[in-house]
Amino acid sequence: MYTWPHWLPLVVLTPLLGAALTPIVSLRTRHVAPWWALGMMTVTSVAAGMLILRVALEGPFSYLPGGWVRPYGIELRFDEFSASISVICLIGWLAVLYSFRYTEWLREVPKQRIPYYYALLLLNLGGMIGFVVTGDLFNLFVFLEILSLSGYALVAVSGEHIAEMAAFKYLLMGAISSLIVLFSVGILFGITGSLNMADVASRLGDTGSVAPAALALGMLTVGFMVKAALFPVHIWLPDAHSIAPSPISAVLSGLVVKLGILGMLRLYQIYYTSGIIDLFVLNQILVWLGAISIIMGAFFAVFQDDIKLMLAYSTISNIGYIVMGLGLFTNFSIIGGSVHVFNHAIIKATLFFAAGAMIYRTGYRTLSDLRGIGSSMPLTSIAISIGAISIVGIPPTAGFLCKWYIALGAFEANQPFFGFVLIFGALLIFVYYIRMVNAFYFQAPVRQEVVDATEAPASMLYPTLLLAALCLIMGVLGRIPLAFIEPAVQRLLTPLGG
Amino acid sequence: MLEALWNNVDYVASVVLFCIGLYIIIAKNNLIKKFLGLNIMETAVFAFIIALGVVDDGSPPIMGEGASGPFASPIPHALVLTGIVVAVSTTALALSLIIRIYRQCGTIEADELREME
Amino acid sequence: MEVYDLRPIIAPVISLVCAAMVFFLGHNKYWRRFWMLSAATLKVIIVMSMLPGSLRGVVYVFPMIEFTPGIGLGFRADALGMFFAVVSSTLWVFTTIYAIGYMKGEGQRVRFFGFFSLCVSTTVGLAFAENLLTFFIFYEMLTICTYPLVIHDETPEAFRAGRKYLVYTLTGGACILIGAVIVFDSTGTLSLGSPGILSTDIPTGTLALIFTLLIAGFAVKAGVMPLHGWLPSAMVAPTPVSALLHAVAVVKAGAFGILRTIYNVFGVDVLQEVGFTMPLAWLAAFTIIVGSLIAVFQDNLKRRLAFSTISQLSYIVLGAALLTPLAATAAIVHIANQAFPKITMFFVAGAIKKKTGKTAVHELAGIGYQMPWTMGAFTVASLSFIGMPLTAGFITKWYLSLGALESGQYWVLAVMVGSSMLNAAYFLPIIYLAFFKAPPGTTMRVSEAAPTLFIPILICAVYVLILGTTAEVVGMPFSLAEAAVHFVFGM
Repeated sequence: MYTWPHWLPLVVLTPLLGAALTPIVSLRTRHVAPWWALGMMTVTSVAAGMLILRVALEGPFSYLPGGWVRPYGIELRFDEFSASISVICLIGWLAVLYSFRYTEWLREVPKQRIPYYYALLLLNLGGMIGFVVTGDLFNLFVFLEILSLSGYALVAVSGEHIAEMAAFKYLLMGAISSLIVLFSVGILFGITGSLNMADVASRLGDTGSVAPAALALGMLTVGFMVKAALFPVHIWLPDAHSIAPSPISAVLSGLVVKLGILGMLRLYQIYYTSGIIDLFVLNQILVWLGAISIIMGAFFAVFQDDIKLMLAYSTISNIGYIVMGLGLFTNFSIIGGSVHVFNHAIIKATLFFAAGAMIYRTGYRTLSDLRGIGSSMPLTSIAISIGAISIVGIPPTAGFLCKWYIALGAFEANQPFFGFVLIFGALLIFVYYIRMVNAFYFQAPVRQEVVDATEAPASMLYPTLLLAALCLIMGVLGRIPLAFIEPAVQRLLTPLGG
Repeated sequence: MLEALWNNVDYVASVVLFCIGLYIIIAKNNLIKKFLGLNIMETAVFAFIIALGVVDDGSPPIMGEGASGPFASPIPHALVLTGIVVAVSTTALALSLIIRIYRQCGTIEADELREME
Repeated sequence: MEVYDLRPIIAPVISLVCAAMVFFLGHNKYWRRFWMLSAATLKVIIVMSMLPGSLRGVVYVFPMIEFTPGIGLGFRADALGMFFAVVSSTLWVFTTIYAIGYMKGEGQRVRFFGFFSLCVSTTVGLAFAENLLTFFIFYEMLTICTYPLVIHDETPEAFRAGRKYLVYTLTGGACILIGAVIVFDSTGTLSLGSPGILSTDIPTGTLALIFTLLIAGFAVKAGVMPLHGWLPSAMVAPTPVSALLHAVAVVKAGAFGILRTIYNVFGVDVLQEVGFTMPLAWLAAFTIIVGSLIAVFQDNLKRRLAFSTISQLSYIVLGAALLTPLAATAAIVHIANQAFPKITMFFVAGAIKKKTGKTAVHELAGIGYQMPWTMGAFTVASLSFIGMPLTAGFITKWYLSLGALESGQYWVLAVMVGSSMLNAAYFLPIIYLAFFKAPPGTTMRVSEAAPTLFIPILICAVYVLILGTTAEVVGMPFSLAEAAVHFVFGM
């Protein structure tokens, strides 16, 4: 069953077509839209499960739409990194479920427009899945645009008073970075005459045009850095992620920024296999930028009173971890970085879901207002605490593995300084965690709404609890993502013909 | 050096255009102007990609009677068509955002908006 | 001989379950007490059931639950771990009973006892940790579980103390984690199951870094100066917590970590070759003397006890740093010999506060008439710290001095004598005040604290005497410490 070849196009097309059809199916009654979106995500998840099963059993495989052979046709390629669609499907599915009640509560969204929200969400998820499985540089750009555009629009949905400004800022930065990506895709096409990634990788080494290749590498890195919100191009992130509706924050913070990272990984595959440029300088730059992101993100996070803003800053910090792992470029550190792509998505979604539930019930979003919520929303508070412990990286939670492996990588690469940076960043985040726990559990409530709050409705509570449980389970079952990532990293670190 | 630049004047032009667009985004205060800068950048990239497909003395890549090589590469055209579609949707979204910002805040000057935050 | 057994993991897990039950069913007073006592009792029973085997030389092992290849949770009940587990679990029963009595009428008891019971679980997990990572996990859990206890009163002062506590201990924890990473990077293992995993093949610089990081990390909790700052301020916590922090769980976890680092991570041979331990020994000696000196000038009884703890704990560090079998025996035995007298003293301080509301030393004049048995127990504990023969403290000092002679470090003897004198200088005035400086008009009416407070005090005081008089205490065997020493010195 899992060998059926058409699962691969199906996994991309289902959410995209589903998005296009959402307004139509909900013409008669808008209540169809959430169920429709959930159904689409279910189909996608099934397809994703089949694909992951196949890659686990058989290794990477391709799908050539229309039977056009490489490099003439376009290619969908599914390798171990593509297994990250599992987490896209998981969080996407839960975000749709979570939105059932959350969208009804958004003041600024007229009720009859709600189907468009689901259309945008499906579009976003479909774009991400496409981005992950495409084997073609231009399609990489197209999917990047699909997911970015829907992301800009979703940020604006929330109706907070600066939502549009945040969305516009996000749009400007995002559009510039997309154009930079497109420009360098053009350069790569110009020097190799191909758009297929594997083909580009094999031709790039022979072209001998080092300067344009280096230019393309630099520009692509910058472009993906903006998407991943690495210091110093992170400025769009805090506003956009904190202002977006909570399920969207979870998707944006957990998944969308990761695509910048996956883009960088793809880039590494191309350039490292072709061997045209020594990546050492780039790696050093990335490591330093990662280190600065870790400290700066954590530092800003500590001083936030607004929970969602704090979570947004902690995303920057965590992206720093991942990029540092990639930049150290040792076996362990890349494993650590890639594992964190999975685990951070789960952790961040837990945190945003739980924070969203609190905001939903009380209308307050700052720690000083949410004091004492631990006794009125105990399960949500436990979930957010677990998420916070995870993000600090205390074993045996999901966040620990990444820190362990990246620290190990730092020592393996003989750059112990970065090991210390890593731990220091974790300590800073812990300070925030303590502030949060103090506020939730040990301080007397100041708001009547907080005292009167009850647990969020089931469609919000259970996704949160499920993810919180996963935060714990993924720490203990760290070998599962590792089993996927290790061969891929091995392949990444082995140059072509080597 | 100069000769090399002159030989690749199409590329140079698109890079210059790209930088002009970027400058406008950074320097201008009005959101619409910022956005026009983005449009200029888009145009620059499209021009660059189109220029990649040019083959000296190439004929249009249309099969049929009397078609004979060398042909200009058709792929860039396909890419740019897609790119334009993307650009249009970006424009639409940005303009709608600007309209909403204007309705809410009564201004689309970036510095005034920043003060309102 | 190694035997696969479930008990090393059941001991922490069953306490964990009981702790969870305290949270869920704790709103009813009787259920809460039931689960708390069962947490403590079950732990003692399981630990004690392994004791006969341990004395025969059996090591109970639970195979590692791997997160990813090479790292994971592992449990192993070797002699050293058993000793720590036996001491802490025995004391836990008394502390639990005492806490039930002490916390009557205080607020937030579910939270308090829930976390209190969680500490049971983490401490025994710490004792049985098979590798450095497991050790680190429980070490950090202990930090997190004790934080709500420190800030229990929710006053600004308590929050300040809690913050200070966390800053110190978490930074220490971070150092340990980095140290563990370097150990893993150098050796590919984190196991604590052998007498030393590092070898001198590793560059000395790296070894020095590992030693500094691990020891500094553990020394924070062990209160070695200058890393002791959190300990006196954590005195704002309720008295059972102070007893817990200062006698059983937290500070002992730090000291135990230092023992593990010296004996199981580095190994005696490696350390003798590279000689890192001498600075540590000097630091410990400095702490012993200066801690006592500061204690002399404290008027608050609990603060005086806190500085006394800082001073006493460094006996363990000093014994470990001397790297001779006899000094090691002293270090291990002192885990028990410091715990029992110190917990007695904190219980007494708490009983006095509960009964009379007095917290300062100068207020204690004549208290001996009112609570003769309580103050009697306090006297026994004081004598033990001073090092009187027939009390527990004497055994430590004796072996530590022998160990110092064995290693040729004669200055340690001077430290021993100085410390005894200083101990006398800050404990005897209290006893003198209590029994001989009755303010005029004091009647001889005896009124001891409630039995739940009173009985644990007496039992602990009796233990102090037993530990000092016979080497074969039931459930607290000297031979276990010797077995541990034999293992680490390869004898």
